[in-house]
Amino acid sequence: MSAGQIHDLGYKRYVGTRRSLGSRWTVIMRHQLATAWKTWWRYKIWLIAALMITAIGAGLMYIATDKTIQIIAGMSGTQVKFADGALALLVPWYCRIGALVAMFVGSTLVAGDVQSGAFTFYFARSMRPRDYVIGKVAALVILLSLILLAGPLLLGILRLGLCESTEQVLEALPIVLKALAVGALATLTYAVVPLGFSAMIANRRYAMALWAAYYFVVGTMAAAAGLFIEPVIGAIDLSTALEAVTLRLFEFRLIGRHVMEIPIGAAVASIVAQSAIAIGLVAWRVRGAQHSGIGGSS
Amino acid sequence: MTALIELDRLVKRYGPITALHEITACIDGQIIGLLGPNGAGKSTLLKCLLGLLPFGGRARVLGLDARTQGGEIRDRVGYMPEQEAFLAGMTAVELCTYAAELSGLPRSEAMQRAHAALYYAGLEEKRYQPIDGYSTGMKQRVKLAQALVHDPEILFLDEPTNGLDPRSREEMLDLIVELPVRRNCAIVLSTHLLPDVERICDQAVIMHHGAVRFAGTIDALRGARGRDSELLVEVKAEASKLGDALTAAGATCRVTSPVALQVDLPADATSQLVFRTARAAGLQIRELGVRRESVEAAFLRVLGETPADGGAA
Repeated sequence: MSAGQIHDLGYKRYVGTRRSLGSRWTVIMRHQLATAWKTWWRYKIWLIAALMITAIGAGLMYIATDKTIQIIAGMSGTQVKFADGALALLVPWYCRIGALVAMFVGSTLVAGDVQSGAFTFYFARSMRPRDYVIGKVAALVILLSLILLAGPLLLGILRLGLCESTEQVLEALPIVLKALAVGALATLTYAVVPLGFSAMIANRRYAMALWAAYYFVVGTMAAAAGLFIEPVIGAIDLSTALEAVTLRLFEFRLIGRHVMEIPIGAAVASIVAQSAIAIGLVAWRVRGAQHSGIGGSS
Repeated sequence: MTALIELDRLVKRYGPITALHEITACIDGQIIGLLGPNGAGKSTLLKCLLGLLPFGGRARVLGLDARTQGGEIRDRVGYMPEQEAFLAGMTAVELCTYAAELSGLPRSEAMQRAHAALYYAGLEEKRYQPIDGYSTGMKQRVKLAQALVHDPEILFLDEPTNGLDPRSREEMLDLIVELPVRRNCAIVLSTHLLPDVERICDQAVIMHHGAVRFAGTIDALRGARGRDSELLVEVKAEASKLGDALTAAGATCRVTSPVALQVDLPADATSQLVFRTARAAGLQIRELGVRRESVEAAFLRVLGETPADGGAA
């Protein structure tokens, strides 16, 4: 820094067009994607883990195409081919990775911005609270969809590739659609719910801990309560709810798992309710921050 | 020509509390000092002007309605906050580019202006370092750069010299005072440091209890009290002798040092009386000036408080 001297590269008033207000959330989204991509532990390592699961799943599906497996049965009690059941079996693994990405990225987003005073930075500009929320959610959706949606979708497509006839392809086609549905639901769940936790506390580490406690401790307790008291309680656990939806969609029964006793309506309702509460929390926090962040000195 | 800020019976209430009482003012100028004690309503006024709070009455910034065109106003206004408002892990150039993009500039233009703004703020060599490791002075410079990166027409600066050592403070004031000329933008400076206002502002707005108590030029603020008949006189020696002679001639004098005195001339008298009296007494006048109130004294007077030292500058 050269003191006492003003350096000026010259100045010209900007007369070009400005990006429309309605599209500025894309700037936040891009920034969020770049931030997540910057460090290994936040996202890249988990994406690699998801790729490994996909590769292992694909390999097993290829090797054991025609093998039947005992632990999964069709709703009618018939045995299921491994290639048909592998996708449903792997979804919980993708969800575990999704939960970790949610912990390292999603659960810290709003809390980190509150902690660093970034809301003043955002709302001194022509950002609206909804632009901020949409930008952050969109970034999380993209990051998580590469894990939770792309993985199952690839496996679904592979399942089609393993078919030997057109009839088999047509028969297996719903698997792709089901993979898309499960992936989309899981993506939305892990994008939105942790964001709600990040809006509850103004400290990124505490917010991360809160999400971890809720997901891993409260979730496990709810799942246990579902097992011993009432199956519907298990739907409070996000991973259990997603597993129940997956198995119902794929019409498989995991032998010895109570998760199948959770009605799909309860599982979906639990996910939707938790997501709605999370969005409400984020909107409340961001709207409040917009009004409190700017001001003259007193 | 449109004034920078026009307020017409602006009212802001928080439940039963009225934060701004029917403010009507027309604020214009190049560097405007926004002054007021705690709870005066400065923050609320800024929020209303930026379109962040609903309010009654009318407020226009650069001719735009603050109630319905907040977004457009914020595109044309830069804000330098008092507190830290950075994003963790970013370098100065990343932050400024991001700021410009959020204000609607295309990416290439945003990057170009980010470099120019940081260069202007004196951070050309440090712009690729993470802001987390910056000193207070450097952080203030980044805050200034991010506020002007999107080419604003008005800059709201909130305590820009807070926490700076005297040298950095002078440098920051130098940067600010050059902005209207070099960047063609007006400045609204919210600060506690009245010497800063005295040094760089040409206009002042003083707020108290949610009302604007004064809006006008700094000269008008001080001149409202200062009269040409109130003089500061410096002599080579024997100020008390001149004081006695002027008192005998009908003036009121206060000797402030062996070589200086304050003189209140009698009605209809001019400064010629001082020269004549000094010549008659055989004294040499070294300097004679109109006694002016300091901005601090004027500020306290406007608030209805009395300065401890009489407030002469």
